[in-house]
Amino acid sequence: MEAFSIVGRPPHEIAIVSGIGCSSRLPAYTKCYGFHGVHGRALPFSVGLKMVRPDLEVVAVGGDGDGYSIGGNHFMHACRRNIDMLYLVMDNRVYGMTKGQPSPTTEGDWDSQIAPGGTGLPSFNPLAVGLAAGANFVARGYVGDPIGLTNLIVEGIQFKGFAFLEVLSPCAIFRPEEIGWKARAHSRKKPPSADRATAIADALNEDELGLGVFFRREQAIDVKREKSTLTLADIERSFEI
Amino acid sequence: MTRSSISVVFAGSGGAGAMTAGAIFLQAAARSGYYGMMTQLFGAQVRGGEAAALVQLSIGPIEAQPDCYDLFVALDWGKIESFAPEIPLSEKSIVYHAKDGGAIAPSIAKTKARMIEIEMTDPQMTALERALRGKRVNIFAAGFVGTLVGLSEKSLKEALAASLGRKKADVVAGNEKALAAGIAAAKRQTENFLLAEANPGKRWLITGNQAIALGTLRGGVRFVACYPITPATDLVEWLSPVLQKLGGKLVLGEDELASINMVLGASFGGTPAMTVTSGPGLSLMIETIGLAVAAEVPAVLIDVMRGGPSTGIPSKMEQSDINLAVYGGHGDAPRIVIAPMSVADCICTGEWAVYIAEAHQTPVIVLSDQLLGQANEVIELTSKRPAAATRRTDGGDPKTFKRYAIGPDPVTPMPRPGTPGFGWVGDGLTHNEICVPVSSASVHAAQMKKRADKIARFEPGELWGECWGNGDTAIVAFGSSLAPAREAARRLTAAGRPVRVVGLRVISPAPIAQLKKALAGTKRVVVLEQNLGAQLYHYLLGLKALPADAESIARTGPLPFRPAEIAAHLGHDHVNSS
Repeated sequence: MEAFSIVGRPPHEIAIVSGIGCSSRLPAYTKCYGFHGVHGRALPFSVGLKMVRPDLEVVAVGGDGDGYSIGGNHFMHACRRNIDMLYLVMDNRVYGMTKGQPSPTTEGDWDSQIAPGGTGLPSFNPLAVGLAAGANFVARGYVGDPIGLTNLIVEGIQFKGFAFLEVLSPCAIFRPEEIGWKARAHSRKKPPSADRATAIADALNEDELGLGVFFRREQAIDVKREKSTLTLADIERSFEI
Repeated sequence: MTRSSISVVFAGSGGAGAMTAGAIFLQAAARSGYYGMMTQLFGAQVRGGEAAALVQLSIGPIEAQPDCYDLFVALDWGKIESFAPEIPLSEKSIVYHAKDGGAIAPSIAKTKARMIEIEMTDPQMTALERALRGKRVNIFAAGFVGTLVGLSEKSLKEALAASLGRKKADVVAGNEKALAAGIAAAKRQTENFLLAEANPGKRWLITGNQAIALGTLRGGVRFVACYPITPATDLVEWLSPVLQKLGGKLVLGEDELASINMVLGASFGGTPAMTVTSGPGLSLMIETIGLAVAAEVPAVLIDVMRGGPSTGIPSKMEQSDINLAVYGGHGDAPRIVIAPMSVADCICTGEWAVYIAEAHQTPVIVLSDQLLGQANEVIELTSKRPAAATRRTDGGDPKTFKRYAIGPDPVTPMPRPGTPGFGWVGDGLTHNEICVPVSSASVHAAQMKKRADKIARFEPGELWGECWGNGDTAIVAFGSSLAPAREAARRLTAAGRPVRVVGLRVISPAPIAQLKKALAGTKRVVVLEQNLGAQLYHYLLGLKALPADAESIARTGPLPFRPAEIAAHLGHDHVNSS
């Protein structure tokens, strides 16, 4: 909310869209317009909304399960579409709502009741995937760093195009060890890159707790469509014999 | 002697251009003032495989396919056998086949139709020309059959020119030559099938898919998100450029899940929005239909039904998505399901779907099918349009505004995002009047009742359906089964056994009172539908909308009902086509 006030948008000009999960309850906590849809589909809903209402500030929010697992396909294609919105993923590397199952970002050796000894799967790198899919603004924030996070949200909202912000969000209940991120999270040493390959390499090679913008490149949005050039009467005439 | 109607099949392997031949023939007839309809029949492959254009011409309106085709034109025999058994011919039919077209399809030979071999290729064409430009037997065939039924050279040339568009001069010249050869060859034939004089009028030539799209544009749809699927793709391909030139937007979603959620997003934003799909796509969208019901967001879904289950038969029709459309999804999620009654009615039903969705804040599913959707038909113009309706957006006083208020009117205002003071959150979770998710029993019951009341109070007026005739036997049907049902009823009535046909435009909520009124005085009621499980029959019977002894005629697609088949089911198989 502080980010919105910095950006200067009143609540009624903002739409917060979410899917399902702990993080997806967010729209109900604000005075903005909002939509709490089905699991994994916050992004396509936001795309449809923003396409007809470019005047609104559209923010899609969700968690790692919502965005990277059930909604993974929409994540990739939203990055490609480059619709002007912010996508904020609160990543706690666990399914908290269903009480502790491994998500795509969970480490492969993390022990849980459903996957004793771990899933054995490599974890998903959201930043690298978002970059490879074509996102033009890719950053990582941390809820334990509220000032830095607010700045990233403001930057993401103001960015002209699809802005993807991965937010490290420890789950104190099912991943208590994530509380330790507080001591280890740090600002990235490198400035944002404008070269996609470099940014992907950074996302793959740097440690997982580096905060800041990885990639930023403005790109023209929306292919220019011709203005309204037809009327319904013109269309109907085309069927006349 | 002239005839009042003729039915012709143009068939050939992929690339032979059977569809183009049919389209030129139909177009020329339409320009000459005849009524006509062309449907499409495909073999195993949707494109590049064998195909047939089934064309009927008449001096009066046509809707149903005939029991038997009069003429069959084989541009080549190729793999025609793979669908030949699906094209009814009799010993009265005549088959014209290309001289170098290969071995005659056994199923066609078995019909005892008269076989006449015709030289369809210009013998002066060199091998190189044939290879480069094709044999153009299809254009020959259009000219040939067009002339046999009495269409003028002028109308055929105009139809060819319209079909070619802006093709290069040498292509145009080659096609004109093939057309002229076909016309000349017809004049050498001893048979002819001259149609009686036409009765020209102000009419349209339109497909069912185009007609539904046009209707929804009339209704105000300005956002479409969809994923390509046969047989709905041609609807969207026609719609896309038109919608964008009207100032609307069309998005190709990454899948059907995305498409329906994009539709909800656009609709939440205040724009009437639609998706277009077929059975498999509708299956994928079901979860979000429940969301649209729960959050009360308007949405129009067009389902151009095809053979199911699973991938089924993409290119052919079936009426087997009734259960899915009416009941699909978990929980109690009442929605509105309607179905066009003819190609012409696709315009009205499409437009109405948008008004209903907007006024009732509900998903509306429109059940069309492949036969209706891909039929290209000459239709009579009507000025009859459904009464316009829009969504309620005036929230009144922001201080007392409750998005999901429980009160006398179950339809509650949904202010447009961006309006100060009314910020509300649509939610698929059970929510209270002010959009807060709750799990209390009383709130759940109240909101469920609000949504159920909204649908139960939907008043379709005279658009619920239609009743034709007044016999004491009634056929109840919907969609593309109505045309053959009406033709069967017409024949039986003419033979002294009056049959009435009751067509449903509204499937859900079932128009029980209207249906009962339409069935008053009947002794026998038969529900006709194209699916094995008798979905419509069981649905209506379960609601006690039918007499307890009502009968069912239900069979799988993909072959459309023939009027004689329906008459036979009713126990009058000796009543033949007039």
